[in-house]
Amino acid sequence: MGGSRWTWRLLALPGVVWLSLFFLVAFYAVVAVAFGNQDTLSQPVPFWNPLDWNVGYVWATLKNVWHGGPFLTVSLRTIEFVAIAVLLSLVIGYPVAYFTARHAGRWKGVVLLALILPLWINYLMRMLAWINLLAPDGIGTDVLHAVGIEKLFISLGLLDQAGGWLSGQSTTVILALVYGYIPFFILPLFVAIDRIDQRQIEAARDLGASPLSAFLRVTLPLSVPGILAGAVLISLPMFGDYYTADLVSASTRTNMIGNQIDEFMRQGSEKVTGAALTLLLSAFLLILMFYYLRTTRQAGTSAQTT
Amino acid sequence: MEHPKESGISRRELLRRSAGAAAGLSVAGVLTGCENTTTPIGAETAAGATSGAAAELVVPKPLGPAGLPLPRPDNSVTWAITDENKPIADGVQPEAGPLRIFNYADYIDPTTVKKFQKQFNTKVQIATYNSADEAVAKLASRAVEFDLIMGLSGSNIVNLIAQKLLKPLNHSYLPNLEKNIWPELADPFYDRGAHYTVPYVVWMDGIGWRNDKVAQDVAAMDVPWDIFWEAQAYRGKVGILDDRRDALSMPMQRSAMHKGVRPDLNTEDAALIQQAQRDLSELGAICNPKVTITDYQTLPEGKTVLHHSWSGDLLGAAFYYMPKGVPPTVLSFWGPESNGVVQNDFFCMGRTSKSPALAHEFINFFLDEKNAYNNFVNYTGYTPPQKNIDADALIKAGAIPKSLQQAVVRPDQFAANQELLQLSVKGQRLWDDAWSKFKAG
Repeated sequence: MGGSRWTWRLLALPGVVWLSLFFLVAFYAVVAVAFGNQDTLSQPVPFWNPLDWNVGYVWATLKNVWHGGPFLTVSLRTIEFVAIAVLLSLVIGYPVAYFTARHAGRWKGVVLLALILPLWINYLMRMLAWINLLAPDGIGTDVLHAVGIEKLFISLGLLDQAGGWLSGQSTTVILALVYGYIPFFILPLFVAIDRIDQRQIEAARDLGASPLSAFLRVTLPLSVPGILAGAVLISLPMFGDYYTADLVSASTRTNMIGNQIDEFMRQGSEKVTGAALTLLLSAFLLILMFYYLRTTRQAGTSAQTT
Repeated sequence: MEHPKESGISRRELLRRSAGAAAGLSVAGVLTGCENTTTPIGAETAAGATSGAAAELVVPKPLGPAGLPLPRPDNSVTWAITDENKPIADGVQPEAGPLRIFNYADYIDPTTVKKFQKQFNTKVQIATYNSADEAVAKLASRAVEFDLIMGLSGSNIVNLIAQKLLKPLNHSYLPNLEKNIWPELADPFYDRGAHYTVPYVVWMDGIGWRNDKVAQDVAAMDVPWDIFWEAQAYRGKVGILDDRRDALSMPMQRSAMHKGVRPDLNTEDAALIQQAQRDLSELGAICNPKVTITDYQTLPEGKTVLHHSWSGDLLGAAFYYMPKGVPPTVLSFWGPESNGVVQNDFFCMGRTSKSPALAHEFINFFLDEKNAYNNFVNYTGYTPPQKNIDADALIKAGAIPKSLQQAVVRPDQFAANQELLQLSVKGQRLWDDAWSKFKAG
């Protein structure tokens, strides 16, 4: 037993070293910069020793959020965009995952392949393709116009003008986020639904539940861990995303927190503020992660007791 | 001179030690050593460079890193040539190379570079950077070494000098400088005597538009910048330069034009900078502009019809980016005769250059009129400040349409406009904060 334990530990070692080097060390570098200072050439001076830490930049960033400064504006907008995008991914992705897991039959592999296929193409390339499709004279714009979607969006106030999909629209940014990340939502959800014991649903039906009732009382609750996993998997990168808004909009009215961080890190004199903002975003995401872990642990515990 | 980073560490150490001593090295004592500041390390030293008595006798000017002067047209700077860092002697034969160059991507004509390689029987290796900040940071790290650096400008020179990154030039290798280059740039205010730099290209900020899609005659307006505040009809097809200094200085120019005064586009007046941000932010409701630097592509394609532009991008657009069936005559450019933004960038030599004579030859080669013309018209679209290259000659040669005449900067226009230059740390932060506010929408 003891030997086997050590074997597993040894096997885990490369992974731990890899994580330590490429995540923890890099993350600590961001922390050291955020709690550091900069020189008169505007280059960051990291303070590696926590005893030396300078809280000035993190504090100023927090004050900016607290006093309703630009960081609050972009943070709220980011939360709004991500929340809507995750919700839309759920509405669009759940039926797809459900169909694939329960009704695709021998086509299951093909459907899964079709879901993964877009991931073979680089994210940026896919977005650039949409730029051409959604240009005022693009094929995508023509199709959306012909089938009446453009008119519907304009009447709902979701689009400024005909053919204006790329003219700085929040709607386009949210839809692009959904398009870019939805496969990562569907796949864990598919796994969760696929693993539901068919006999539990049959038992519900035998006990008189209607198909809808069986879905709402059995399938849906049992697929919650999959929904949460998918939501976490897509919301984490969405929160840090900046290139989607940059590519399909480039308007200041659709800028997300990732755009602000990019702005500070890429040019200008406030790279330390960029690091402080990165740290605050990480702290926020950590809270979300803890909520997810707590929920899935509780779900696991209750599943074991039932 | 001590590196600012080194002085910062010793200062922090001092703080920590004094706090530790006061608290008898207790935990509380160490914690008081933690700072709560957003003042960069060394900024106090720079600000206090003028002694108390002398400070009373002069109107203070913003200072750059390590208390070095910030060059301005009315405060020109001659950077000293020191004994420890002298130019190469006269008459040295060009080295075998390779010549290592650090430049923006796609910012020099490969064909002209090949011609140089053939003429001097050498190899040219070009490494690229994406922003001036990145370039200066990489050079300052001393992890990379180059013989020649291209694309940096007067707004970077104080940093380059402060960090001792440049080698002075020997003008005996550069006869084309005096022969071909505009006199005001052969002896620029940011580097009197051109001790360390030689100009490469010039450009100006202006308005680029599609004259087949924009109804107004922008150039004929009393204040052409007003077009952005009257662009409701072009909503979603308007662009603003994605650069804090260029973008925020645009409403400053507009306001000054209305008042008939000369703006200071290197101002460190918080009220003026914040006003510029508010004016620029108004555009969100008016025309929801895109904030990009892709006008050279979006204007020819018609994805934008009105753009705050760099003159060189409009010429580049006309040279290369017109879709089939769209003539370059649909592009127009207006740039202010005075009180607007002009910029130039330069060649400079890396301090540790291994091929300094060859680097001089390369500079002189690109200052040659024919080579500069080919580099401009066949590739970059950015105007070399050559005495004999002007808009009339280019129009006559059929290289550019008349509607882009103003995109070729003239020497008198260059002199009457302003360059965006390096600011003090405090000033830079004011611009950055205003930009962050604008970008938040």
